[in-house]
Amino acid sequence: MIRRLRRVTPFQVILVTVFTALAAFMSLPIIFILNHAFKPQNELFLFPPRFLVQNPTLRNFESLILHASNATVPFTRYLFNSLIVAGLTLGTVIIVSTMAGYVLAKYQFHFKQLILSLITLSLMFAPETVGIPRYLIISGLGINNTYFGHILPALASPIAVFMLVGFISQIPGELLEAAKMDGASHFGIFTKMVLPLSVPAIATISIFTFQGVWGDVETSTLFMQEETMRTLAFYVNSLLSGLQNSVSGQNVAAAAGLLMFLPNLIIFLLFQRRVLETMVHSGIK
Amino acid sequence: MGSITFSHVYKHYKGESRPAVNDFHLSIEEGEFLVLVGPSGCGKSTTLRMLAGLEDITEGDLYIDEKFVNYVSPKDRDIAMVFQNYALYPNLTVFENIALGLKLRKTAKHDIELRVNRVAKILEISHLLERKPSQLSGGQKQRVALGRAIAREPQVFLMDEPLSNLDAKLRAQTRAEIIKLQSDLKRTMVYVTHDQVEAMTMGTRIVVMKDGVIQQVAPPRQLYDEPANLFVAGFIGSPQMNFLEGSLVREDGRYYFLNKRMKLLVPERHYEHFAVKTASLRNCVLGVRPEHVWLKRENEEKDEPEDGFVRCVVEMTEVTGADSYVYVKLGEKTVIGRTEPETMYEKEEKLLIGFNMNKVHFFDEQSGVSLAAGGEEG
Repeated sequence: MIRRLRRVTPFQVILVTVFTALAAFMSLPIIFILNHAFKPQNELFLFPPRFLVQNPTLRNFESLILHASNATVPFTRYLFNSLIVAGLTLGTVIIVSTMAGYVLAKYQFHFKQLILSLITLSLMFAPETVGIPRYLIISGLGINNTYFGHILPALASPIAVFMLVGFISQIPGELLEAAKMDGASHFGIFTKMVLPLSVPAIATISIFTFQGVWGDVETSTLFMQEETMRTLAFYVNSLLSGLQNSVSGQNVAAAAGLLMFLPNLIIFLLFQRRVLETMVHSGIK
Repeated sequence: MGSITFSHVYKHYKGESRPAVNDFHLSIEEGEFLVLVGPSGCGKSTTLRMLAGLEDITEGDLYIDEKFVNYVSPKDRDIAMVFQNYALYPNLTVFENIALGLKLRKTAKHDIELRVNRVAKILEISHLLERKPSQLSGGQKQRVALGRAIAREPQVFLMDEPLSNLDAKLRAQTRAEIIKLQSDLKRTMVYVTHDQVEAMTMGTRIVVMKDGVIQQVAPPRQLYDEPANLFVAGFIGSPQMNFLEGSLVREDGRYYFLNKRMKLLVPERHYEHFAVKTASLRNCVLGVRPEHVWLKRENEEKDEPEDGFVRCVVEMTEVTGADSYVYVKLGEKTVIGRTEPETMYEKEEKLLIGFNMNKVHFFDEQSGVSLAAGGEEG
């Protein structure tokens, strides 16, 4: 019996091989970015290009900081803006989306179907199509050049609400009813039951909300006229486009690329573990 | 404390023509163990949920301790409920699960600890207090769910099929424990089940429901001996009661039950009820429980069977251990009879069948209402 269980079928061998190869292929860009940032100038222009760095150096970061310190706004200001905007957006998106998700998943009210359909519909809009209306709203509210102007466009996240509605509706109704009979208020049920039980979904929406906000240049380009209110993504983006044809700028671009990528990777690894953990221990069948 | 009164309660769901609960009118006394039983979709759970405050009452009044509670929220009704799937909070430990209700009611911390530990001791779950629900077995989860209800010391306990997810052995054991618990706590308990055995063994009074309507309310013994109608007669008891269609005829001041195969003398104690309901005498149904069916081997020497007995053929035998149930063919109809386990009949064997006429029931064929003693309700 044990021998039979242990036997590996040819199909399994093929499956594991194929998926390992696929995973390796998918990780190539990450390996490239990591290595690229540490390549000295001559290696950056090798032909045929190499993946792995031969003589790692920190010169690229040095050039980046040097380049940034020559600009009117210091590099740290962009970084600070990015951290503030990403952090505040993440927090508010979680609060708004979980509340909306809970109500839409567990309560019956008029026009609920209509609201759900509108949310689904809004998933289909490309961001470019809403650029102008967004600008009109932001300038109408007079929140150009404020952090709020960065946050507001990202606040209504239909994909996050959509996912949370799906996830929260799977929480058994009896659980919330039991809490109700135990004496919990609506808000108590939300904070004590719904939030802890939705952690996997919250982790998932955190990953892509952060990635969206961290890499977003639209708000900085359109709504921020003052350079001091723009984010790191905007700075790197303009840096890269400015350096596109410059041979000497390639090392700065390589270092900036890694700098933009790292927080994404960290957030992903952080929340991905949480997703798996909560899936295992949630006890929801 | 803990009395409940339903006054003509209705529950209408939108878009459904038939009310889920139809004119539920009942008083439950303090300390009573009331069981609501019926097939799925009969409205028993809806009734319980209205009592809990989890469903709105469409029409009618609900009183707990003489207090009108139609619009009182669940947490202010002083009731606790045990759900079918336990509904333990998966993110909290067993201790926190039991303590949550107390915590939300602002009980003092040392008091919470005291009460949780006491409840855990009663239910023998003291060693599980630090675990999460996902680390518990079905029986343990059940105990925690009970503990959560008990710890709050409410006036009324509601239980919605709490045993249906347990295996047979554990179910019997927990059933006994709940009965003991109820008699110790002396609190009103309303228990919903679809299992008639559970209903019969646990309830001090049983409410049989069908299609949202109360069929009969009675203590277990009375429910079994004097079913109010065909539905109750068929629902309570396993294997179920045998039904034979026929008519009642009067000859020389005596009543006989007559159909194509048999003519049976009806005992006199039934007569007074017949007299009242003469209109329904034509078509009636005779109901007889398997234990009141007599089966015996035919005496070869006699050509005609004795009075009250007719010939039948064995279809199959079911041995349960303590009893044997013999399925016999009586014309088109299959009748089940209980026999001693030692008596073995062959398939296709010819037998004589008779009924203990003192124990049979008569029902009106159209309305299904009992014509006998238990029929006052109909």
